[in-house]
Amino acid sequence: MDIILRNLTYQGIPIWRNVYVIRWVSQIVSGLLVVLLVSWFFVNIGNAIDDREIPYGFSFLSREYQTPIGQHFLAYESSDTFLYAFFVALTNTLIVSIAGVILATILGIFVGVCRMSNNWIASKLALAYIEFFRNVPLLVHLFFWFYVVLELPPVRQGYVIAQKVYINNGGLSFPWPSPNGMGTAGVWLLAVALAIIAGFVTHRRLAIREATTGATSYPLVLGIAVTLGIIAFAWLLLSVGLIGSEGERPFGLSYPEPHGAFGRISGGLTLSGGLIALLVGLVTYTAAFIAEIVRGGVQSVGRGQTEASRSVGLSAMNTLRHITFPQALRVIIPSIISQYLNLTKNSSLAGAIGYSDLTNVAKTMTQTAPAVSIFIMIMVAYLAMSLVYSVIGNLYNRHIRFTGG
Amino acid sequence: MSTDSRIITASVLPPPRSVGGIGGWIRVNLINTWYNIGLTTVFGFILVVALWYGLKWVFLDADWRVISTLGGRIIIGQYNVEAACPGRDCFWRPQAGLLLVTVLLGMAWSVSGGGLTKRIAVLFAGALVACAVLPYSLDKMGLDVRLLFAANVPALALGWVIARHTRLGTVSWIAVLAICTFLLILVLLRGIPGVPYLQPVSVLYWGGLTLNLLLAVAGIGLSLPIGIALALGRRSSLKVVNLVCVTFIESFRGVPLITLLFMSQVLVPLAFPENFPQNSLVRAAIVITLFSSAYMAENVRGGLQSLNPGQAEAARALGLPVWQTTLFISLPQALRNVIPAIVGQFISLFKDTSLVYIIGMLDVVEISRAFIQGNPEYLASAKEVFVFLAAVFWVFTFTMSHVSRRVEQHLGVGKR
Repeated sequence: MDIILRNLTYQGIPIWRNVYVIRWVSQIVSGLLVVLLVSWFFVNIGNAIDDREIPYGFSFLSREYQTPIGQHFLAYESSDTFLYAFFVALTNTLIVSIAGVILATILGIFVGVCRMSNNWIASKLALAYIEFFRNVPLLVHLFFWFYVVLELPPVRQGYVIAQKVYINNGGLSFPWPSPNGMGTAGVWLLAVALAIIAGFVTHRRLAIREATTGATSYPLVLGIAVTLGIIAFAWLLLSVGLIGSEGERPFGLSYPEPHGAFGRISGGLTLSGGLIALLVGLVTYTAAFIAEIVRGGVQSVGRGQTEASRSVGLSAMNTLRHITFPQALRVIIPSIISQYLNLTKNSSLAGAIGYSDLTNVAKTMTQTAPAVSIFIMIMVAYLAMSLVYSVIGNLYNRHIRFTGG
Repeated sequence: MSTDSRIITASVLPPPRSVGGIGGWIRVNLINTWYNIGLTTVFGFILVVALWYGLKWVFLDADWRVISTLGGRIIIGQYNVEAACPGRDCFWRPQAGLLLVTVLLGMAWSVSGGGLTKRIAVLFAGALVACAVLPYSLDKMGLDVRLLFAANVPALALGWVIARHTRLGTVSWIAVLAICTFLLILVLLRGIPGVPYLQPVSVLYWGGLTLNLLLAVAGIGLSLPIGIALALGRRSSLKVVNLVCVTFIESFRGVPLITLLFMSQVLVPLAFPENFPQNSLVRAAIVITLFSSAYMAENVRGGLQSLNPGQAEAARALGLPVWQTTLFISLPQALRNVIPAIVGQFISLFKDTSLVYIIGMLDVVEISRAFIQGNPEYLASAKEVFVFLAAVFWVFTFTMSHVSRRVEQHLGVGKR
């Protein structure tokens, strides 16, 4: 009787079949394995540093870089430090990324809209564009454009448009605003910032008013008018010298001019051949992807939405603006932001065609500075950039997500 | 409702004259509204100009001799130079590898019974046979080389016959043989020390399209399973596993591949003991595979998220253990849902193999660029070279996306 009772009593799950034990043990074991593997790598790197006398640490950052950087948008001398050179290279990457993102968005939306057009020629041309551009490696695009730019004539025989824009194998030179005196330019830029804020506030106030009272208030038009008005007013004030130290226009235009037998161009803004090839390549390549995203987004909005909106009396334009587009945007924005990130990362191919972006400069730096430290620095820089993109994406997602209903 | 049940008869009318026929098609698709007339004019003009200058350039202005001068370098890079292969008679090895692939394609044609597989097989063999009759200016491009290219036609037939008349003609056997062929090609290219005609060739001399394809095949084969494992790990409720997978995925996705490749060359040798066997080709393959796995993981995760949780719950309720639920219920449906994304990732992996230039490997793009750089007399033909390369890449990637659409149709995505 006693034995039977003991056998009938529930003994609990044996320890090797207890799911909680299994979970904990497997987690600890896998965690330990990863930690061991990573620490093995680090021990090896440490040994290599000791045995082969490989330099390490970050003390090189304050040393002089002493290597020229091709095109740079910030002032740069070879005697500048590694840290500053790294920063210059980072700006180069950022500038090409931002310009690329803006241009690729415009071209991509244009091609995407053409693809959806019910005009047969427009639709098929866009299809051919998309199918060709996204199926060929970016590197091939870049080399193609690079050699196209190289085939342009030298500066003295180059193309000149209206004596102001120069196109030649040195790149593209065009007039560019240059500040007349840092003081006035600074004051004006401050006024521009204030004007933009004022414009936003106006827009928001009027939009709320329109939404609550129903009175037509033109929030967008008036917001832009306020911004432009303040900017123009500040410009006028500074030009006639009422509040500036002396009466001068904050910005003048600087024109490119060739000098000497080889025609070195000074003044204006010159985009080097490498940068142009990079921009054209990146923009045409990424635009093909964006076009597909735009098309997919618009097509994801059900036909019923459009039909319903037309039947309650909205015009085609208003249907697009208030019904189709906001819903399509929900699908489009996350994918488009990941394309922006791709564009930024793809700009690292710049080195192949002689534009000094972050990766290219970092690669050169490893010849005179510890590779481990450089690697950590570019990792951090690129991860920071992708973090910025994903923060923007998440903010937008929070802004547009379905609330209630 | 009336109970009246008269049968109403009406003849089926043809479509109105305004939409039928060529004139109707033009009316509906090109000039139906005033702004479409404008669009048609503008885009028609662009089309005509682009076609005119494009065709004129391709057939009249372009100098395609540079392609035949590049010749074998497009296929295998510097594999057959004196330093890599004393005697310079190693070109038969990549050619033999291509023959093996053709045999395999012949078998696939026979098993599939025609259709797309047939077209791919014929295109592949046809392109290689075309190499046999093209004018090459590389010395050593003798009769033997041309014959080996021409041998692809009998090879295709051989594969077809093997599959038809032996027990090897099943999909699973072909899959096994494909893996064997891949390994055999690797051995063939690498060589075996001491065996006549198979003297070892350093991987530093591998290049050309062969290098792109080897890296792509290895990456495609490995990145999907690793990506699936990472995706499952990322969805796991085990905190440690989750953390490791998220860190891995996000750090590989956040950094450009080119940076990773370059650093693999500088840093990875340090991370292993000095006598650890490794070479740049393997390092490149591993980095490309891991990079692609991180993206693949996100695609697979998207597929898993698209599933109705009821599927897994039902499987669990029927008594399937977790691993069987995942393997037989969740994954097949998840993967089917994201075929376009997965194939898109394969395509971008194939395109990304051109980035190995950063570690000094001469893939098809880099060897062409280096050739132009080293022979300034061909500088004027650079555009022709890159247009040709674009076409080559395009044929491969377009085939991949075409196959993916077929697979989707076959699996009935969006229909059940």
